[in-house]
Amino acid sequence: MAAAQKSSTKPSSKDDFDIVETYQRLLREDPDLTMPVAAIESLVELLSRSDARTISETLDLLAISTLHLKRSIPNPISLSAGTDLFQRYLITTLQRPGQLGPAGDFGAIRAHLLSNGRLFVQRAKASREKIASFGRHFVRDGATVLTNGGSRVVGALLKSAAESSAASLRFRVIYVLSSQTSSASNGIQRVETKEEGLATVAALRAKGVPVATIPESAVGYSLGKVDMVIVGAEGVVENGGIISRLGTYQIGLLAKAAGKPFYVVAESHKFVRLYPLSQYDLPIEQRVIDFKTTADTEKDKGTASDGVPDASSPETKQAYASTVDDAVDYTPPDLISALITESGVLTPSAVSEELIKIWF
Amino acid sequence: MPSPTIVASPGLSSFLKSLKSTPVEASIEHLISLLKRRQIRNSRPCAVATAQLLLRVVSAFRWTDVSRLIERIQLVGQRLQAAQPRELSIGNIVRRILGLVREEAEEDRDADASALSEPGTDSQPGTPRISGVRPPLSSSISTLSPLRHGAIEPLDPTVAEPDTAKFVADSAQRPPLLTSHTSYAASATAPMATSMFSLLSHPETPSSTATPSGTQSPSGRPTSATQAVFASLTQKDLRPEVIGGIEEIIDELDQVDEQIAGYALDHIHSNEIILTHTSSMTVQKFLLTAARKRKFTVVHAEAYPNDHEATHATVTGKMVNENQDELSSEAFQKPLTAAGITVILIPDSAVFALMSRVNKVILGTHAVLANGGLVAAAGTRAIAKAAKTHKTPVVVVSGVYKLSPVYPFDFESLIEFGDVSKVFSYEDGDLVEKVDVENPLFDYVPAELVDLYITNLGGHAPSYLYRIVADHYRVEDINI
Repeated sequence: MAAAQKSSTKPSSKDDFDIVETYQRLLREDPDLTMPVAAIESLVELLSRSDARTISETLDLLAISTLHLKRSIPNPISLSAGTDLFQRYLITTLQRPGQLGPAGDFGAIRAHLLSNGRLFVQRAKASREKIASFGRHFVRDGATVLTNGGSRVVGALLKSAAESSAASLRFRVIYVLSSQTSSASNGIQRVETKEEGLATVAALRAKGVPVATIPESAVGYSLGKVDMVIVGAEGVVENGGIISRLGTYQIGLLAKAAGKPFYVVAESHKFVRLYPLSQYDLPIEQRVIDFKTTADTEKDKGTASDGVPDASSPETKQAYASTVDDAVDYTPPDLISALITESGVLTPSAVSEELIKIWF
Repeated sequence: MPSPTIVASPGLSSFLKSLKSTPVEASIEHLISLLKRRQIRNSRPCAVATAQLLLRVVSAFRWTDVSRLIERIQLVGQRLQAAQPRELSIGNIVRRILGLVREEAEEDRDADASALSEPGTDSQPGTPRISGVRPPLSSSISTLSPLRHGAIEPLDPTVAEPDTAKFVADSAQRPPLLTSHTSYAASATAPMATSMFSLLSHPETPSSTATPSGTQSPSGRPTSATQAVFASLTQKDLRPEVIGGIEEIIDELDQVDEQIAGYALDHIHSNEIILTHTSSMTVQKFLLTAARKRKFTVVHAEAYPNDHEATHATVTGKMVNENQDELSSEAFQKPLTAAGITVILIPDSAVFALMSRVNKVILGTHAVLANGGLVAAAGTRAIAKAAKTHKTPVVVVSGVYKLSPVYPFDFESLIEFGDVSKVFSYEDGDLVEKVDVENPLFDYVPAELVDLYITNLGGHAPSYLYRIVADHYRVEDINI
């Protein structure tokens, strides 16, 4: 409509609003927030700051900001699910005939989005509860559940199972905690246990659920005592596979080999339009496999021994982002028994249909 | 699979005969007692009895408000399902009829007041269904399956349901980028059509986030006063529609085997060796239809100890199935041998040994579950596993009415245990005290052992069944 105007509004709106900062602030402020929802929130905030008056202006602004955001975050897979969903929602709503469509007032749709920012967050959290209520039935009496990572949905599910019928339902949890050598590159080898899973472990133990914590190396050993595996996901890709914390893939392989069901719990806003063909086909840079010779390690030590490695220097920051701690892997759909989402229990092949529905 | 009851005993036919003359409440009690005493058993008789009873319930019930009718059907459905929880087809039929009533109510309301309100439901506000596209006609359901029809008229759903299928209509109106994609978009009218958007959609009832619904309606919810007006409007012409819908379901139950058999020639080729198990009417008709055109060999495992007599009767052509006697012509059909087919009857223990020579395994089933797994006659899992080992394709033929939205959280509870004396005669009473004898009637077969499902809608991969479930049952009815 007004493509000519967009060049004038673009720089002004970006000057006084930093989408990356907003995104990170939102995630910091609310630890329960998922990355896609934080991205949607940031985009809503961006819209509220911008003075774009036309559809094409708005879409253009969104596209630029989304790109900027994706470039600034080391692993943008999960957040891109949110930004894509937001963009598609805007486009389909605008194209739909009716009050909010092009025939109606563009301001109406804008006002709807702006006024309901908090609602989206609430809904995202509500869908977590919904998943918990669906998934609760998977945990049977006397079952042993193996899980990993710090997924909030898995935590909610297990807590809900523990609360639902505390008297009759008895189940046990084996929690895989990744004890990792953090920042191996700076030469100081520290072995520490991730604290993110510990909160869930403590909460479950407080509810009277026996929890065993095991290192990742003990998954194969423990699997004989396990009835089912339940994991969370950072993103669910188009073929029904998942992108999740490093180590999920191997749990999936082991569960398949042992013939144990492997369930994934994820909100449907984590569905992302990506079709990875292998582990190394993800659109992110990960330095998990880092080949070195003695000469390389010597050189690293030389640079790091000058002082305490500080995260603020750009080089260390980059390195930190791609260490094993934050790395993800891709679990292909054939290892997944079912996806538990807020719209029901889906087979992996249902994911592509959901995505096709919003994209085409 | 006939139960060993004598022909004079109460069963489906006596129930259906008494249905017209007995008051509704007595009929409900009658069916409950028949179900409890297993005098009506197996999927189809249960489905037929349920559908006929509900037809009677709907036509006899005086209602002013659709929600009352839904409550009534739910109540009757709960009682029937509680009488025989392992006959999943009872619940399936109840769910389909409930879905039918809800859909008629919504369609009607849309027509009455499309300008005023969103398509809300009566009993479950905030869960309107985006696609009212599923037509009550059983034959036209099949057109929704994108596997069967590569390209469906893209505008078809918009014509059927201009209001509720808004989102779908949009995607169809946009210029098609790729033909395959548009056909998907047009057929993508499952209840979860816009579930991903529900996160962002207009604020309505909070429950609409989670339920797979398309609450994108710009206007608010109708007030209770307007709802009452709609209810009174809908009341008068809804009844024939609902009754017509239930009659169509009953027709579907009658025709389902013929529809499935229509796909037989696509799957059975000349000179193949087909292995099957127990006496399933669906499988028999499937094989007979293929036998008209092609010559092949059937290896029939007898399913000792529960169904072997019926299997022998099927092979020799002396099948007198007292449960099926409302289909009197089919009950005395010709055996496969009369059609020129070589039939080899084998004991179940020989299945693995013969599997290496078998081209295809065709199985009947008791129920199909939402994850693609199935509950079938005992011994089926062993056959499916043997087929997997020999990389022999396993084809399951089943009517859609056997497809249940139930997810097998623990499948042990779905397996019924039968008469122990068939395994171990009570004459050896002394031994019975010393050993535990068990006679499971069913097996749970996981989805990965099945290669293809053939329903009356066509052939489907096990991973696609969730879609057929979504097309046939509504989310709010999954727990009756």
